[in-house]
Amino acid sequence: MHISDGVLPTTVALGSYALSAVIAAWSLKRTRPEALPKVAVVTATFFVASLIHIPFGPTSVHLLLPGLVGALLGASGFIAILVGLLLQSLLFQFGGLTALGANALMMGLPALACGFFFHRFKGKTAKRQMLVGGLCGGLGTMLAALLLACLLTTGGEDFFGVAKLALAAHVPVIIIETIVTALTVSFLSRVKPELLQAPFQTRRKMP
Amino acid sequence: MTPQPIILPGWSLAGGLLLLLLMGGASSWGIRRLVRGARQRRKGEPDWSLPQLDGATAGDSPIHRWEVRCKLVGMLGFAFLVVSLQDLRTAAVAGAITLSLLFVTRLPFDRSLARLLAMSGFLGMFLLVMPFSAPAHPGDTLIQFGNLESLPWNLRGLHKAATICLKACAVALLMEPLLATAPLTRTLQGLRRLGVPAAIGQMLLLAHRYSYVFKHEAWRMASGMRLRGFQPGSNRRALGAFGNFLGMLFVRSFERTERVYDAMQARGYRDRFPEPEPQPATAKDLLLAGFFLLLGVALLLADRCYFSTF
Amino acid sequence: MHDLNRPAPLPNPSDALFALRGLSYAYPGDIQALRDINLAIAPGDRLGLVGHNGSGKTTLVKQLCGLLQPQRGEAFYKGEKLRGDHLQRARLEIGLLFQDPDDQLFCHSLIEDVAFGPRNQGLPAATAEVAARRALEQVELLDHAYKAPHALSYGQKKRAALAGLLAMRPEVLILDEPTANLDPRQECLFLDLLRDYSGTLIVISHDLLFLYELCDRALVLDTGRIHHDYGMRELVAHRPSLREHGLDFSFRFAGNEKDPSPRDNPAPAAMPESSATPASSTPLIELGGYHFSYPDGTAALKGIDLRIHSTERVALVGENGAGKSTLLACLLGIHRGKGFYRYDGQEMDNRRRKQLWNRVGLVFQDCADQLFCPSVFDEVAFGPRQRGYTEMEVERRVAKALRQVRLEGFEPRVPLKLSGGERKRLALAGVLALDPEVLILDEPTAGLDPQGEELLLQILREVKATLLLVSHDMFFVRKLTERTLVMHRGSILRDYPTASFLDDSDLASLNGLDYTYRDRCAIEIRQIQHEHEHEHLHKHLHEHQHRHGDLLHSHPHEHEHEHRHRFRHSHDEEGGHSHPPQREFHDHPHPGHEDEPHDHEH
Repeated sequence: MHISDGVLPTTVALGSYALSAVIAAWSLKRTRPEALPKVAVVTATFFVASLIHIPFGPTSVHLLLPGLVGALLGASGFIAILVGLLLQSLLFQFGGLTALGANALMMGLPALACGFFFHRFKGKTAKRQMLVGGLCGGLGTMLAALLLACLLTTGGEDFFGVAKLALAAHVPVIIIETIVTALTVSFLSRVKPELLQAPFQTRRKMP
Repeated sequence: MTPQPIILPGWSLAGGLLLLLLMGGASSWGIRRLVRGARQRRKGEPDWSLPQLDGATAGDSPIHRWEVRCKLVGMLGFAFLVVSLQDLRTAAVAGAITLSLLFVTRLPFDRSLARLLAMSGFLGMFLLVMPFSAPAHPGDTLIQFGNLESLPWNLRGLHKAATICLKACAVALLMEPLLATAPLTRTLQGLRRLGVPAAIGQMLLLAHRYSYVFKHEAWRMASGMRLRGFQPGSNRRALGAFGNFLGMLFVRSFERTERVYDAMQARGYRDRFPEPEPQPATAKDLLLAGFFLLLGVALLLADRCYFSTF
Repeated sequence: MHDLNRPAPLPNPSDALFALRGLSYAYPGDIQALRDINLAIAPGDRLGLVGHNGSGKTTLVKQLCGLLQPQRGEAFYKGEKLRGDHLQRARLEIGLLFQDPDDQLFCHSLIEDVAFGPRNQGLPAATAEVAARRALEQVELLDHAYKAPHALSYGQKKRAALAGLLAMRPEVLILDEPTANLDPRQECLFLDLLRDYSGTLIVISHDLLFLYELCDRALVLDTGRIHHDYGMRELVAHRPSLREHGLDFSFRFAGNEKDPSPRDNPAPAAMPESSATPASSTPLIELGGYHFSYPDGTAALKGIDLRIHSTERVALVGENGAGKSTLLACLLGIHRGKGFYRYDGQEMDNRRRKQLWNRVGLVFQDCADQLFCPSVFDEVAFGPRQRGYTEMEVERRVAKALRQVRLEGFEPRVPLKLSGGERKRLALAGVLALDPEVLILDEPTAGLDPQGEELLLQILREVKATLLLVSHDMFFVRKLTERTLVMHRGSILRDYPTASFLDDSDLASLNGLDYTYRDRCAIEIRQIQHEHEHEHLHKHLHEHQHRHGDLLHSHPHEHEHEHRHRFRHSHDEEGGHSHPPQREFHDHPHPGHEDEPHDHEH
């Protein structure tokens, strides 16, 4: 779920623009320059993957994948999410021009947190990677939902109800996301484990 | 002090909700039809040997001729001023202005409609929830349905939600005139010359190009799964297949990134994409940008000074 | 001239354009791809690079344009090591065509993409555009100049990628499988362009028939080593070495004559003479007045009438973009068009469409679209498990399917890491495990080496299901089918026995399906191959130790021997043959010859 224009107070929108610009600059710096085109191509995949709907009970949920972005891209994840959102809002059917910064924070910060979490605790065995991956998937979505709720409440007490509803709406997403991320990570650890080493990052360890 | 609610019979809530649902359904169906109709009217293959703008149709209007940097500054500034509005009426005026831009540029409506449709879920939630959830203040008009005392319907909440919707629509309608009136490469060049790192623009172009490739790839993989009996669902087996599917998608995309990067290098890529010749900004372009910003400021002033009493 | 702005070509002090010395390369994970390669390529060479799937051909060309750095040994271009600044400039003179054109078209529109190379050569935007337009004209795509690459068909993408190289006026052109999946007309366009190309040409291909006329030198790679460095004619003439490297495509010539019964697999006895009208039984698949348009309005199928009976084997041919894939998608229930579709006498409705997968199976053109499980066993078991079989039945079916495609013992392996041919067979096994009534194959031979093709052919002949084969490969069509449908622009143009299709000579004018180039090459190659397989007595010079009485010495001398030999020669009508002048001196083993009496002048 993305925040559309006109929801956030202008100060919050501008502030999150500034904050996400700073984080994006850091993320760009942490990505090897020759890897930028590669991150772009992978971003396209995340974009496509987020279009997939998974049936859940009577409705369907679509994946947000901040956890997986973090696990696969590490520090480059923020820039990938920014580009993905730009792509979505510029070229496809979405507005959100003024809320771009807030949306980037909402998806990007959980991705960074999950990236850190995953690479800190992933261990060596496939079982453990699957477990940690699943936790990342759930954690990422949960953080994103919390950030969304926080951003909404900056609008004042009138927005509390919407924020609560948005939180509730994310519960099924968190469940599905946890399972799917765990399974995806376990597939990758069996088939192409080198992808789980954040291949596009500079050598330095995550701070 | 809580204002006294106007009491309506309980069935009117159900009736109102039903009406809203029907209206929502009908309008989204109608929009879909319109979009499809417009697509079909443009069925004849366009002549691709002409420079194609990123709006499926080439056009000529003051907006098309506007220099990109000035256009970006003017329109983005306008957008930020519009989202600062607080009153329904000024927001409606802003919506009318951006709508008129669509007429000036003679851009096809279907893409703008599609943008509105994409937001409708999120905005619909506001329209539905905010009247119930907005706390009652002195001076608010409350409506109570039957004996549902705990669930008063606040007109101020509706006003707020409607304002948000109008603002969102106004900005969304601005997207097409902003983006579809120049080739994407040129727009991104403008962004770069405004100080956005060149890497972002390049990544955006690449991500755009390959999102089509991967969409196609994902579609083929999904049909391959379906042809072997895959039933989407949320049981263990189906989720396992989803996990494999996503994993495979990523493996293929990481493999492709290597090949794409090789291909770029083999043709002499050195961390920079070639750009079109830069376009000079004239006084006219600057004036137009100034006009847009002034328009936004005027709207904001009107909003704060005349309508702030609501 | 426009080209004044282009950087002057690098001077070439040495006589070889490329020189590789003792070059080795291993991928991460200790996969040795190249071992001790020594190779010189002269300017103007036309080199065909052949070998098994996975023999290191692509790695070798990546070394040639510096995309990989050798781990041992050196790679030189024009006398200097491919490194640093020299490498950057060399890349602007070397054009590399990738297998998948999507890898290479990374810009927003075609003209920007083609101008990408010239811009990197330092041309200003306007000049680069002129060069790009010229290149697009060469590949007949000028009227698509502003289209986005994703809106092009596969063949157009392939041509666009070539245009991107031609616009750079490369001195060297390296092509990786340039004609895989192309229809004959586009293949011809490629062939014409490459024939006229005057620089150094290096082509990787499994398709010796394509290389035959284009290249004069053939380099055979085997597990990372250069095994042979022949003339192209000598290579195709020598069957034993072709067979050794999995390149023997001669199986294709068996039954290539236009004999009355081209199909030598057991024809179902029930087949009546004219396969198009078996009126009595209900057809398995029946389409009537079937139309399909894509959401963007492109009409892909325009009134298809089609009946396929059980156990029939049908080929579907047509140019790229004729609507073959769309028709398949409709038959499989992926797309839904207008018109009627009956399967086994029953009208297709939503419920039946959902169950269609139980009866119809498809092997995709690109098997990567079909393989998504972490192990071979899971991959084959996916379909049977979806059907809800018990684990024992699943295991039985998997074992049977893997046996059918000769992949026994592969169960725990990772599909992603199998070779191209194995992956293709695995995809087939995944479909066969469901025992489909109809088996549909979309370009099954794309990207396979001849050995893989031969094996696939064997497997397919054993399959009992009704077969629908989409292919540009006339040999497979001939071998596997008895009826051919020719599609053109969304409708079925011809529906007749395969034998008549193969004799049909107006197809070239109808829809550009011209297979004559291949036939011509095939006939020529057959002649050389066939005639080399005999022994005969001939006279020549050779050197070995020999004895004149007590005198033991060694020097070249001439005498007659009976032994196997390769000559270039031609046959006349009566069965006699004549030799052109041959090499006078060569060496070969002569057991016991040293002790035979020798009598000659010194």
